[in-house]
Amino acid sequence: MGYDAMAHDASSPAAARDAKKKRGNRSAKLKQSKLDVRREQWLSQVKDGKEVKAVVSPGAAAGANSGSPILASPHPPLPRRRAEIRTREGEPEDYKEDSVGASQDVGSSDHESPLHSPVSYNPPVDCLQQKHCSGNGGRSFSSGSSAWSSSRSVSDSDNDTGGSPENDDDDGVLDDWEAVADALSVDDSHNHQEPVPAAPPVVPASSPEPANAATRQEPIKSRTRAWSPDDVFRPQSLPSLSKQASFPASMGDCWVAMGIGSAQKGILLLPISCPICYEDLDPTDSSFLPCPCGFHLCLFCHKRILEADGRCPGCRKQYTSASSGGGMTGNECEMGNLRLSRSCSMGPRY
Amino acid sequence: MVDVSRVQKELTECNRDKEVSGVSIALHDGSTISHLTGTIAGPLGTPYEGGTFVIDIRLPGGYPFEPPKMQFITKVWHPNISSQNGAICLDILKDQWSPALTLKTALLSLQALLSAPAPDDPQDAVVAQQYLRDYSTFSATARYWTEAFAKSTSTGMEEKVQKLVEMGFPEDMVRSVLKSVNGDENMALEKLCSG
Repeated sequence: MGYDAMAHDASSPAAARDAKKKRGNRSAKLKQSKLDVRREQWLSQVKDGKEVKAVVSPGAAAGANSGSPILASPHPPLPRRRAEIRTREGEPEDYKEDSVGASQDVGSSDHESPLHSPVSYNPPVDCLQQKHCSGNGGRSFSSGSSAWSSSRSVSDSDNDTGGSPENDDDDGVLDDWEAVADALSVDDSHNHQEPVPAAPPVVPASSPEPANAATRQEPIKSRTRAWSPDDVFRPQSLPSLSKQASFPASMGDCWVAMGIGSAQKGILLLPISCPICYEDLDPTDSSFLPCPCGFHLCLFCHKRILEADGRCPGCRKQYTSASSGGGMTGNECEMGNLRLSRSCSMGPRY
Repeated sequence: MVDVSRVQKELTECNRDKEVSGVSIALHDGSTISHLTGTIAGPLGTPYEGGTFVIDIRLPGGYPFEPPKMQFITKVWHPNISSQNGAICLDILKDQWSPALTLKTALLSLQALLSAPAPDDPQDAVVAQQYLRDYSTFSATARYWTEAFAKSTSTGMEEKVQKLVEMGFPEDMVRSVLKSVNGDENMALEKLCSG
């Protein structure tokens, strides 16, 4: 099922290469290891699928026709999303060729035909999923169910199927790479692990599937925010454009808030530029009040002064005494918040 | 090194209202921004009224975190300014300097120093003694020095500059030559023609 979309994407290799360039060098290592893991995993999946195909594919086809939640609901978006993820990771062409070459016997020879391939490729993956559901129980079920959309869970399912030695490495790399998303996935991992004891074989496929899928949707969304706004394959529904638009707005809010705050403290109007170096103050600098006298200056000049006599240029008092007076600590909290909010809003843009 | 962008902005800022403030700054010779020349108008109601006082400004590498070095070029009779070499005794040019101060505020402080001498902390002990013991003599001497040293180069300076510029000499050259001949128009013309 993913193949046809991949093949389709490969028909526009320029776009894929653009996406690849945007990824940058940071994920080069990750790409390589992922590629290896993926290749093996897909090979095994294809084999497994082929083995079980004869048994389950009629049921799968029937389920698709009857509109069962497992087959009907998650599937329509799947080919596209999967293809997007692959494209984003910059390995569509190589991988496609390799896997196609290895699984030549499974699918038809016409990989470019979008009409043909859904029929020929859907069964193996469906079968794999069903096998996970019935055979291995909760963990593999949930991970298998999310195998469609998340590269992370793909490697999970690989663990279940007796994966390759690179798995650990791969996971570690992923953890590093997605450290930004860790905060988001903490909640999700709780959700993810609680159902594990409850989920097992009792539930065939229908009821937990949407729940797990729903819980797994969140990290997926957070990952897809890494799309660059002009990416061709970027899903239309993603809201990151509004994120971008809100970034300057939040800065404006900061300015307003700080202006009000300083006005309440009886300080003069907020200076636009540092009175020492005459460079423009950014919001961090503007919220930086190292001295109770309210003298604004940029962090660079403040550091420079601390290296020298350490007296406030506004009141000539020592900064050290001022910092113990609470002005410094309060402001450092404020700065921390500011930095956090900035990194959050800038995160999706990479 | 000197914060060039700050100094340039300071110069622009200071010279914007020099007619009102009576304070202006210019590059000393145009080659380096760390050597400047400031001028302040003698404050009204003082023996220095009507004079224009030229101050040599040298910016240390650490400016604005270190104070600028200022020294009167124009001879001044003042308790806190050396009558010998124009050295200035002013706290903000020493330990009370703050990077929030600027060349303009420093020059304005010098202007204020001219209006309000501090003889208890003198730079020139002789002048300080005279100021404390015989203020009238001090005042007369200060006025005479202002007439003698702070006005000759500046009286009608603009008119002289204007005249020489109309003769076809570049203005900056006219000014420097006039300064070098202490404002003598004929000598300046002679120099300009020979040079």
